[in-house]
Amino acid sequence: MKNKYIFGGAIIVLFLGLMGYLFTQSNIKYESNFSNVMNTDKTVKATGSWVKDKNYQINKASRTFSFYMADENGNQMKVVYDGTIPNNFETAKSVVVTGQYKDGYFHARDILTKCPSKYEGDKAKTSGL
Amino acid sequence: MAGSIVLSVALAFSLIAMTMYFLSYRGYKNTLNYGRIAYHSMAVLVIVAATILWYVLLTHQYQYHYVYSYSQNSLKTGFLIASFWGGQEGSFMLWLLLTSIVGIFLQSYTSKRGDLELRVMTVFTLATTFLLIMVSPLFKNPFAYIWTEPIFIPVKSITAGFLNLPWMQSFVFSDGSSGQSFIKMSTELYAKLSAAGISVNQFIADGKGLNPQLLNFWMQIHPPILFTGFSMSTVPFSFAVAAMMKNDYKDWVRQSFPWVLAGAGILGLGIMLGGYWAYEMLGWGGYWAWDPVENSSLIPWLVGVASVHTLLVQRKTQGKGGIGKYAKTNLILCIMTYILVLYSTFLTRSGVLGDASVHSFVDPGMLVYLFLVIFIGTFLVLGFGMLIYRWKSLNEAVASDENILSRDLALFTAAIVLTASAIIVFVGTSAPLIGQSQDKTFYNQLNLPIAIIIGLLNGLSLLLKWKQTNGQDLLRKSIPSLTISFLFTLSLIIFGGMREIMYILLAFSASFTIVVNVDIAIKIIRGNMKMLGAYVAHIGISLFILGVIGSNAYSQETDMDLIKNQPKEAFGYKLTFTGYHPVENNTKYAFNIQVEKGEKKYTVSPVMYISDFNNGLMREPAILNLMTKDIYVSPLGYDDQSQDQAAEGLDVKLNVGQKTNVEGARIEYTEFVKPDMSVMMSGGDFKMGTNLTVTKDGKTYNVEPILKKTGRDFIYVPVEIAEANIKIQLKKIDPSSQTADFIVGKIKGETATSKTPKEVLTVAASIKPFISLVWSGILIMVAGFFVAVSRRLRESLIKSS
Repeated sequence: MKNKYIFGGAIIVLFLGLMGYLFTQSNIKYESNFSNVMNTDKTVKATGSWVKDKNYQINKASRTFSFYMADENGNQMKVVYDGTIPNNFETAKSVVVTGQYKDGYFHARDILTKCPSKYEGDKAKTSGL
Repeated sequence: MAGSIVLSVALAFSLIAMTMYFLSYRGYKNTLNYGRIAYHSMAVLVIVAATILWYVLLTHQYQYHYVYSYSQNSLKTGFLIASFWGGQEGSFMLWLLLTSIVGIFLQSYTSKRGDLELRVMTVFTLATTFLLIMVSPLFKNPFAYIWTEPIFIPVKSITAGFLNLPWMQSFVFSDGSSGQSFIKMSTELYAKLSAAGISVNQFIADGKGLNPQLLNFWMQIHPPILFTGFSMSTVPFSFAVAAMMKNDYKDWVRQSFPWVLAGAGILGLGIMLGGYWAYEMLGWGGYWAWDPVENSSLIPWLVGVASVHTLLVQRKTQGKGGIGKYAKTNLILCIMTYILVLYSTFLTRSGVLGDASVHSFVDPGMLVYLFLVIFIGTFLVLGFGMLIYRWKSLNEAVASDENILSRDLALFTAAIVLTASAIIVFVGTSAPLIGQSQDKTFYNQLNLPIAIIIGLLNGLSLLLKWKQTNGQDLLRKSIPSLTISFLFTLSLIIFGGMREIMYILLAFSASFTIVVNVDIAIKIIRGNMKMLGAYVAHIGISLFILGVIGSNAYSQETDMDLIKNQPKEAFGYKLTFTGYHPVENNTKYAFNIQVEKGEKKYTVSPVMYISDFNNGLMREPAILNLMTKDIYVSPLGYDDQSQDQAAEGLDVKLNVGQKTNVEGARIEYTEFVKPDMSVMMSGGDFKMGTNLTVTKDGKTYNVEPILKKTGRDFIYVPVEIAEANIKIQLKKIDPSSQTADFIVGKIKGETATSKTPKEVLTVAASIKPFISLVWSGILIMVAGFFVAVSRRLRESLIKSS
């Protein structure tokens, strides 16, 4: 009877240990400050918005999609994504890119766009005609 | 207004039902009938409220904020009906509606089983009360009027005539960055409109409509099924608490069993349909991304399925009297299934996930957040409070004739392993709460060994007897199945080119399960068909696992440029882009691709279109289903190279009054050509642009390159000055700053080098072996659940000795 609990306990400890280890290994932090993004070689999820003035480029030869992204403090960085422009990109209110910063730009392996329709509250600026 | 009143009265009835049922439980006479009447009145009122919501959606009553936000005139009836659950308010309403209906069946079921009804319905009505508070005017009321909170409505959604009203101007706002104008709808505007005798419904001509990603066939099916699963999870919770109220843990196992099985079956089906929707719609080629919203419905399902296994043991071990084994485990699992459904709602609707999920849910505000916390907290305290209170009486000694090789222990281990999987998904999904996020590898690496264990365990446990099994006996019985699955896996390695050790093990364990279950199923078919449930479900889940291996590990993907009428090879198929044609009233374009292999010819047509909803390019993949594999073609872009030709030249950016020298000419941006505001505001055709003075070789020219909107199209009209050999086209113009970008080029020279335009369609093509097993496996599993339900339903009636 005792053995059962020791055996079970050992499995639980092993399981939680493995999960904890993998949790720290595969965890990705959200980062809304781009100076932190640029100073780490870890994979992060950078959140910010697309800099519309600088437009975006679709490079058909290398099949990359690149644009500039700004954080809330106005820091900008170039983002290059292996793939094409995601659905809803032009109208996205904010963008979350997953990847890492190296060689002077952010290598994104995933882009998530947030649709502004859900944020209708602050859509219109108050500049009466 | 009517809807809100109906819901408020329903809330009152729900409270009365709860009180009356509770009083009856406490021994009061004559209160039971009031409880029943109150419950049925509540359910009927909820159905009435839902009908009202459907009615206002179908009749386009845009004075309701919800109707304006999630529907529009052009939606087909099917989608109008589905827009019921397009937003948060409506999905709570759907949950409430389905819970109320489940309650009608539950009341009838429990009333035939002794004093069960009093306790079960007391708990169940607590849940309906919370849901009714959620949709009450305090929180997420689908019947809120549009003016109660200020909202900006695009001018194009307003009935045109009313814009000319003199006092209207003070409600018009414009957004500099997009150039759009809005009407600010508020109580002030409502007062003005009412004074002028204009109803808001007349004033607002159209709604915002559904997000184009929701305009999919499955939008009409998946949410109701998923929410039925959610609603049914309330039942095992109610049974568990009811058992603790009576301090009797014997009958509830048998009585709740059909409900647990049916709930798990329906929730599983709902989750699968969500996956299929993602596969068919999103275009990335997969069906499961470990997205927090998907995960949060998977967690309660895993726990619910775990409870199926331990409930079975408890029921079996009750044979010799006593409450049976794992009584506490079962109570915990049944309580947790519902708590996790509530937690799922909290994660996806409280705004805490924020940036983590593709299902971008809006932050509902602090009040709703707090209410959700109270909702979960109440049920958590109720469930676990009762459990702690009754803990001692649950410590009934069970004869410990446990053997490692017994089916009880194998089933218990299955529940543990499923719970472990649920914990993994729970931890990963909750990571955003502490500002972290988990990569897909976290889930995959941890769940892969679990899936292997589940397969082996399932196969072995069925060869085990209930009490204990002789080791040698087991070995002898399992040799044929092990041999068959070994040979099958070996053939996958040799002919299928399977190399990764984890996949090999997984394939082996899944095929072992199938062989054992099929073997037993065949024996059963000759005997009692009702016993088939578990075996069918296990065959289903194992087929699903094989499908997952095939479609993930052996999927090939390639990006390719398809030039019109020029075939290209991929995975042994010849793909040819043959042109495009408009579909669905010219709102979308289908791009036809011919897929050929030998004699066989198929056509697939991925779709691309610009959505009115968000002005974004939307792409829909096309799937060619070929029994053993899918060919999945996702469009990336289409280029007829006409743009490139017109746009050859130098980029120039100017503000009003600035000048520059290009191509030997001096260009001055003299004046911004304003669009006609009233026309632009009503969504009509307009033009805007720039007035330029171009000087070359001593001559001055006055030109106006403009942006023209005709119907749905925006066209940049270029200007040519033949004498100066210059061509100017607008590239971008910002109406608020009036800054313009031009492309300046030569007319001659360009025509000489002009290329014949080529139409190029860029696609991501992939091949998904055995993906049909993913869907059919789950469907078989669900069928298994329902075979089991029919058997357990009969057993639940038998009065225990």
